[in-house]
Amino acid sequence: MTDYTYPSVLFAYLMFFIFTATTGYFLFRSVKAGYWGKNSEEPKFRMLEDDPLDPHTQPKAHTRN
Amino acid sequence: MSAMEKSGTAVQPQEFHQDIAAKWFLMSSVSYFAIVAIIALIIAAKFVWPEFLGSIQYFTYGRMRPLHVNGMLFGWLLAADIGLSFYFIPRLCGVKLWSEKLGVATAILWNIIILGAVFALPAGYQKGLEYADLPTPLAVLVVIAWLMYGFNIFATIYSRKYEQMYVSTWYLMATILWTAFVYLTGNFATLFTTGVNQANLNWMYTHNAVGLIFTPAGLAVAYYFIPRTSNTPLFSHKLSMVGFWSLAFVYVWTGAHHMLHGPITQWLQTISIVFSIMLLIPVWAVVYNFIASMKGQWHQLGENVSLKFLMSGTIFYLLTCFQGPMHSLRSVNAIVSKTDWIPGHAHMAVMGAFSFFAMAGVYHVVPRIFGTKLHSETLANWSFWLFLIGGLGMFTSLWLGGFWQGWQWSTGNIKFIDTVIALKPVWVVRLLSGVLIATGIYTFMFNIWSTALGTKLPQGESAAV
Repeated sequence: MTDYTYPSVLFAYLMFFIFTATTGYFLFRSVKAGYWGKNSEEPKFRMLEDDPLDPHTQPKAHTRN
Repeated sequence: MSAMEKSGTAVQPQEFHQDIAAKWFLMSSVSYFAIVAIIALIIAAKFVWPEFLGSIQYFTYGRMRPLHVNGMLFGWLLAADIGLSFYFIPRLCGVKLWSEKLGVATAILWNIIILGAVFALPAGYQKGLEYADLPTPLAVLVVIAWLMYGFNIFATIYSRKYEQMYVSTWYLMATILWTAFVYLTGNFATLFTTGVNQANLNWMYTHNAVGLIFTPAGLAVAYYFIPRTSNTPLFSHKLSMVGFWSLAFVYVWTGAHHMLHGPITQWLQTISIVFSIMLLIPVWAVVYNFIASMKGQWHQLGENVSLKFLMSGTIFYLLTCFQGPMHSLRSVNAIVSKTDWIPGHAHMAVMGAFSFFAMAGVYHVVPRIFGTKLHSETLANWSFWLFLIGGLGMFTSLWLGGFWQGWQWSTGNIKFIDTVIALKPVWVVRLLSGVLIATGIYTFMFNIWSTALGTKLPQGESAAV
């Protein structure tokens, strides 16, 4: 049987590298997209109003501070 | 137009959500939950009475355990998380699900896979790799189903109405991408390796199956349903981003802590310990956010079953994620590794934290998508308390038993068989706890199916618990 140990370990390292690089890239993108800025809290209020057909969860007057 | 909306998109009234794919996934996952509970009880009984069903090859421990593990992970939990995501992603994006037909096709394929596993695993068709037991043809079908699911979700997110995405959307996108990587490694890359390297890759998969599949999926669910069921905004969206990105950076390296004191390089062992300790950052960011969101809202726990499940799951998440880094330390690991401590830890993560989150989501969603009222609030409370008390009994008995087991092994002068006999009382407690948990699961399943089949409420009337 052919042993693919070294290629598979190198494959795993490659995947680790791709993971770290793409994580860094998307983290950078998230900064550019405003997730760390002054409007970063907007989604948490909007999600409470996302289903007007659900009468039970009509939002209270939430404070957007 | 809000600055947060995508340019050129006007605010539209919410479209009607069909939720057909969500119904398929949720109802089948709840059913598998109940079926696999029987398997769990059989396994627990075998610890107390080793001869129990031992003469029938299909019911031997080596065939039952993979069915229990895969059934709970893929038949119940992941399917439930998929079903819940088909509910909340379209709502968070302000659009319909990209394709309900594709979602239903995914659900049908998923059911074929699970039913295939129900026959294949007891018949002895399995790869013999932890969490990757499914025979290769079924594992290939899982990849196809995941591509279908991922395409549907990403297409929905791509067409979203709002530029900025809520944190649940982030976690779910990550689940889809990370699962692709983790599942392929565990189920296919391991087939090309041998010996200790295969074990190392397999543990990377096994640990990341929890950390990079069930954790982000479970947190996506919790981040959505804690604010929704309490009708209170999340404490901090920015803090949720800190939790998300720190998880993304540190989790992938932790799998090798299962190989501590084993024949792998010391640097890899040390790296896995360091990154395991660093996991405290995302965990505490998440837990603080959940607890702080409940400020002034704790009184809701008395009457809100979903919230009971969510906050208990949060506590279990904190405990299991404190326990994990601590037993990654070499000194602690030397005692607890390979003992009953580890299944105690794993059950608290997958059952205590993420199944609690999923059950909360199912209780919240099913009355809404079927347009009915929850069949019985009393039964829902019973399912919670049975699950909680049974879970606590199981976790604590396994931790204490595991620590005791490890201590006995480490003395070096106690015969192994004596350490097995000594643990019998622990396994009796585990079986009794399992009976409570299974009763909780059947109560849950009965309540959910009765709700789904119940009388439809008039349009606009509250379907909520």
